[in-house]
Amino acid sequence: MYPEEHHGDPTGSSASRSIPKIPTNIRGLDGILKGGFPEGRTTILSGMAGTGKTVLALEFLYRGALEGHAGLFISFEERAEDVRANASAMGMDPTVLEDQSKLRIIHAEMPVDAVMTGDFDTRGLLALIEGQARLTGAKRIVLDAVDSLMSIFDNPRREREEISLLLNRLRSLSMTTIFTVKVEPTGRNVYPFLDFMADCVLLLDQRVAEQIRTRRLKVLKYRGSDFLSNEHPYALSSEGVVLLPVSAMSMKDASFQERVSSGSEELDRIVGGGYFRGSCILLCGPTGIGKTSLACTFAHAACARGEKVLYVDFEVSPQTLVLAMRSIGLDLQPSLQADSRLHMLAAMPESDGFEEHLVRILAEMTRFSPRYLIVDAISACRRMGSERDAFDFLLRLMTACRARGITSFFTNQIRNQDHLTQLSGLGISSLVDTIIALEYFLDGQELNRRLMVIKSRGSDHSKEFHQLELSDTGLRLHRNAGQENAARA
Amino acid sequence: MSRAGCPTGIPTGLHLILYVAGDGPNSRIARENLARVCEKELAGHCTVRIVDVLEDFSAAIKNNILVTPTLLVCKPGHVVTVIGNLIDHQKVRTALGLEEAGP
Repeated sequence: MYPEEHHGDPTGSSASRSIPKIPTNIRGLDGILKGGFPEGRTTILSGMAGTGKTVLALEFLYRGALEGHAGLFISFEERAEDVRANASAMGMDPTVLEDQSKLRIIHAEMPVDAVMTGDFDTRGLLALIEGQARLTGAKRIVLDAVDSLMSIFDNPRREREEISLLLNRLRSLSMTTIFTVKVEPTGRNVYPFLDFMADCVLLLDQRVAEQIRTRRLKVLKYRGSDFLSNEHPYALSSEGVVLLPVSAMSMKDASFQERVSSGSEELDRIVGGGYFRGSCILLCGPTGIGKTSLACTFAHAACARGEKVLYVDFEVSPQTLVLAMRSIGLDLQPSLQADSRLHMLAAMPESDGFEEHLVRILAEMTRFSPRYLIVDAISACRRMGSERDAFDFLLRLMTACRARGITSFFTNQIRNQDHLTQLSGLGISSLVDTIIALEYFLDGQELNRRLMVIKSRGSDHSKEFHQLELSDTGLRLHRNAGQENAARA
Repeated sequence: MSRAGCPTGIPTGLHLILYVAGDGPNSRIARENLARVCEKELAGHCTVRIVDVLEDFSAAIKNNILVTPTLLVCKPGHVVTVIGNLIDHQKVRTALGLEEAGP
């Protein structure tokens, strides 16, 4: 039910050559790790408070338990009932699995008020782990907030010795072990020796820029294995953790064959016979020039052919859009309500980080299975974070569409005639198949609109300006708009 | 937080439970230190139980024993947790409530 194109091929050649792994079944993660966590070895999840370390580790055990693999979750900080509550907020129900002894959530409470006299070690914890492992048959274990466990030693040498003891024992038990470790807000790694001892180290990073939060996961190390080395956006959704890598597979070139109408015969002719199905179209122009009208004309035509359209609107509400489109003779209401061919997803760009927007749109694409995706307007994506976040968002959306054969149509608001200097699509224009620009021009005393196809991959498109008119009978395009203007002047 | 599971066989007086892990150095030192205190200062006034968590892990689970050695000093009404090999004689005496009975 999730975008499969984001997963690498765990049985692929790179995985079979490397060390044994167990799939995490966390969406997108196994692709990044080229198969999963190292089996019988130690993986470190580090990150600041609130980055989702605990929930990622728990989801690993949870998904394993659903498939019959027992797991132990030892929390050194949060109480078991708090861990359960957090899990259920992320769409997991651990209690059923706990009843079946497939999952144990144990709060290993640190003795904070104890009298300390002389040296001690963590053999009690090991006895607890070994006992529980024997009872449940667990081969997977999470030690959550290992930093809390170590803090009781108050001595770097003893911390290191105890962690070694713990790791060696767990390894000799062939336990696949996940440690979560807090990183200080300064980013300083408090326990560098941990990264050294572990086989796989993941860093969860959370940044806030202009009040918008972004989350990234990075693999710092994976001994004996290949991995996707970039920073990967991730979201903490109501259905668990979702990683959002761009896999090389989804970037493969589609071979376009079938044509679909833009909704205007004239525009079809101008772009060279309509758009290609499965291609990506970018329409840019200044505010008020008719970008939304062209997008809705396209959507309306698709619905009239009986095909489904997902319309992501970052500007107005569905009601406002329906009213606005009546002025150019388009009635979207029947498609929106009666036959449900048009589904609108209205969102404020600022309401979430781009990861959450992306997860929501991808989930909607999975649920609704549209043949078309329209995003109006991608210029709003900057408001989800930085320019780079906007690029990351669009890149993932475009590759997801391409992998599913969905025809995608993006509008982008730019200043008049900007397209002549910068084919502005937040850096995505090279990934776009068709670019159409709209601009205002002065015709005598009249301000008119004209349209130009800047590129249309694989099509013999018109290289001339066409004047665009919007009326209550729809849109019209006339040839030689600029030339007529010049002739008259 | 108080620890559960302290037997209440002797409602008055001290009941001591020492959790150890096999015959490790800290566990051995703790056993010796505890034996000395019981013999010299508590003779006849306490009961002592030694639990090896390597043999009886369920006791460790029940009482949340993460580190060894851990001594639970069960007094009527409350429990004091002492962690470590009991090397500091004065601290152990305080935990047992023996300070006022000193020299």
